Amino acid sequence: MSDIVRMVVVLSLIAGVCSTALTAANILLGPQIEKQTDLYVRGPALERLFGKPAAEVLGNKVIITAGEQEIPVFFTREDQTVSTLAIEAIGKGGFGGDLKIMVGIDLGAGNMTGMEVVSHSETPGLGARIEEISFRRQWKGLPVSDTVALIDDGGTLDAISGATTTSGAAVRGTNEALLFVRDYQDEILKTISELK
Amino acid sequence: MGQKLLSTLTAGLWKRIPPFRLVLGLCPALAVTMSAENGLGMGIATAFVLTLSNGAVSALRNIIPSKVRIASYIVIIATLVSIVEILMKAYFFPLAEQLGIYIPLIVVNCIVLGRAEGFASKNPPLISMIDGLSVGAGYALSLTLIGSVREIFGAGSWFGMPVFGESFEPMTFLVSAPGAFVTIGALLALQNLYSRWRGEKFIQG
Repeated sequence: MSDIVRMVVVLSLIAGVCSTALTAANILLGPQIEKQTDLYVRGPALERLFGKPAAEVLGNKVIITAGEQEIPVFFTREDQTVSTLAIEAIGKGGFGGDLKIMVGIDLGAGNMTGMEVVSHSETPGLGARIEEISFRRQWKGLPVSDTVALIDDGGTLDAISGATTTSGAAVRGTNEALLFVRDYQDEILKTISELK
Repeated sequence: MGQKLLSTLTAGLWKRIPPFRLVLGLCPALAVTMSAENGLGMGIATAFVLTLSNGAVSALRNIIPSKVRIASYIVIIATLVSIVEILMKAYFFPLAEQLGIYIPLIVVNCIVLGRAEGFASKNPPLISMIDGLSVGAGYALSLTLIGSVREIFGAGSWFGMPVFGESFEPMTFLVSAPGAFVTIGALLALQNLYSRWRGEKFIQG
């Protein structure tokens, strides 16, 4: 009997110490990991959306809480007013899981500056072509006031042939970002103005 | 005592160098050695885990009941590997992305569990840590060597620096998966030839 008790106690103690160590490491290094993810994963996407080096934009980040989600929003200023936003959104229902995309929105002109894929797990050669410029450039200049849709659904966007599911996920993500901006624009601008 | 420490320290570099002598840990050796840099990164991560896990296992060897020892070892090793993963993500992000799933898979790397069970559970902490360090260093060396061979002949560069002139046509076969088997097989054959020529006996463990 005491043997069994000893086993349970020792194993639980080891597991307890280990989980404490892991939690500590996670909390201590969390901000650093977030910074690196911004630099290497979101950086290239932001560079193309804003047309500026990533280092200039990465600091301009606010996190907006919408419902239960926390949505990262990047922005640039022109003459003290916020000119462009980049909103991260989740495109639900890709072929290999959800897509993480970023939509650039020009507040002055009221249109999109582009759509960038931050991370995905789509099939190479089919869905993975979502990263190609020929698909992404269709977003440039579309008005923010309307939701987007694929041609099959009465919209203007050409789906990638053989990867309709992936294209649909990108469209759903974009619409999510558009809705978010529509509902939360005041809050985003307020949060940004409170930064400095 | 000093003699034993020294022989443990050098054993990992030739006498039981993984994955050639201690034919363990072949999976990452085949999978991530596309370039010398990847091999070195993977080797250092494994060496780090191996040293600390050997130390921890050996320090706890009299407390852990033998019936739950493997479970305890795995918990300790998994924790160390997760910490390594967090550290790599925080400071060497591009390397962590490249190595991907193979970092968490160090948990089931046979070398780590093998040294814990075969050495650390029978020896005091200091010598166990030295054993971990030496086997880990040997593993890092081997992975770098395999990675170098594959990168130099398969991509014409070493640690990203071009080695041959423009006219060199790289053997892309070597950087793909079958190339790993061929490279490791060839290196293993060379090592055995050399050992036979020196009249060494093959030593396992």
